[in-house]
Amino acid sequence: MRRRKFHGFLFLAGLMVIWEIVSQIELINPLIVPPLSKILKNFTEMVLSGQIPRQILLSMKRAAAGYFLAAAVFIPLGILMGLSQRFYRMLIVTIEMLRPVPPPVVIPVAMLFFGLEDEMKIFVIFFACAWPILLNTFDGVRNLDWVLLNTAKTFGLSRARTIWQIILPAASPQIMTGLRVSLPIMLILVVISEMVGSTDGIGYFILDSQRRFKVAQMYAGMLSLALLGYLLNQLFNLLHRRLLSWHWGMMRRVE
Amino acid sequence: MNALKRFNGSGWLSFGLLLLLWEFGSRAAPKLQLYLPPPSQVLAALGRSAVSGPMVAHLSVTVGRFLDGYFLSAMIGVTLGIVLGYFRFLHNLFETLIEFLRPMPSVAIIPVAILMLGIGDSMIVAVTVYATVWPILINTIDGVRHIDDVLIQTGRTFRLPQWKILWRVILPAASPYIVTGLRIGLSIALILVTTAEMVAGSKGLGFFILDEERSMNSGNMYAGIFLVAVLGYTLNRLFLLVEAKAMKWRHGMMARQTA
Repeated sequence: MRRRKFHGFLFLAGLMVIWEIVSQIELINPLIVPPLSKILKNFTEMVLSGQIPRQILLSMKRAAAGYFLAAAVFIPLGILMGLSQRFYRMLIVTIEMLRPVPPPVVIPVAMLFFGLEDEMKIFVIFFACAWPILLNTFDGVRNLDWVLLNTAKTFGLSRARTIWQIILPAASPQIMTGLRVSLPIMLILVVISEMVGSTDGIGYFILDSQRRFKVAQMYAGMLSLALLGYLLNQLFNLLHRRLLSWHWGMMRRVE
Repeated sequence: MNALKRFNGSGWLSFGLLLLLWEFGSRAAPKLQLYLPPPSQVLAALGRSAVSGPMVAHLSVTVGRFLDGYFLSAMIGVTLGIVLGYFRFLHNLFETLIEFLRPMPSVAIIPVAILMLGIGDSMIVAVTVYATVWPILINTIDGVRHIDDVLIQTGRTFRLPQWKILWRVILPAASPYIVTGLRIGLSIALILVTTAEMVAGSKGLGFFILDEERSMNSGNMYAGIFLVAVLGYTLNRLFLLVEAKAMKWRHGMMARQTA
């Protein structure tokens, strides 16, 4: 296992060295692909000066607002749809009509309503994250073990307590799946909406660097985005294990 | 999806009510009309430009870029995926590189592509390919690695040449995974084409929608969005149709096994 990883890293390092050399001896135009060392230097400088962290913070504020708003609206909606057939049938046509809209084309609509403000990005992220969260939550509730619900009924649990103590925990692995799928979508949409209509944020920063021909700075911005994506994923996995540790423990006992 | 097959009275009724509310709400508030013209006006705008407007031209540009990008991605993703899935050594080499590149949101590649390729068709297709290859590649690798070893051993026993094992054993056995990757890639490709058209370019539906927004032609803008949604829906339907045809042998086989 470790040996396998080692080969991979060695290969990656080799590629990076080739990149450096090819750009240094101008086999490829260093104006378009600058040497890696220059990009890394640029990156550390801009991280230390706070320029990149500031842009990322701006973007993450918008991203988090849209993401959590989507979770706050669409997890309850998904639960309701899973519990009530009538409610599900009422909404599903409208949902299936809206779902084929690729999220980026919602950006102009959001710009019409909100201009270039934060609300514009928040709305776009909200729209894009809605579907995976809603449909996974719905699936989780729909596929609930009915014995659980009947047991709750037998013990005379109130409806609110049944939802809070039985349904929500039982559907939480699926809800988590929806939230996980939405995470990269959130990141993609914040970058796109900042590229199309913004004056700050990391998406704007990258595109603006390209327009000003500050190429090393552009690559440094991309590098920070890659790191951000990686960190977000790790953070989510950590939370996921924490929050659902009871679930994994239970599954193990069942086996 | 099955919900649409059986006629869903209350669903269509509530959707219709929503449209009515939109129609009359928008008519009642002229200020709102600038942002949200009534659906009848959107429909009229759609009809007008379907006959004479530039929308059809933009649509065909977008479809062309989509098809180029998608089929290129499918070819690259499946080929590379089979090679990386089959040869363990190569997989070990590339695994770290893939893990490193994948968390970066694919749209961040757009500025690089503009730098290298300008703002023409090739830039948009390249960006689309970069993003769409990922799900196809990862799923194909997964599919090849999940193949029952007995299948390959059987092929070897019958002394099938290597390429025949690839073509007749590995490709069909991995196809359910490959199809999954191709389906995910479909919506990603459409997202990337429209995004790239919005960020740079002077043609295509993405450009058209954003341009109409900037000139405050909200009727045309909504008509364009409607068209993109119809395009996405149609592509998805078409895919399911082709999939059902192409994978028929498999469903038959699975049915026989369980019987």
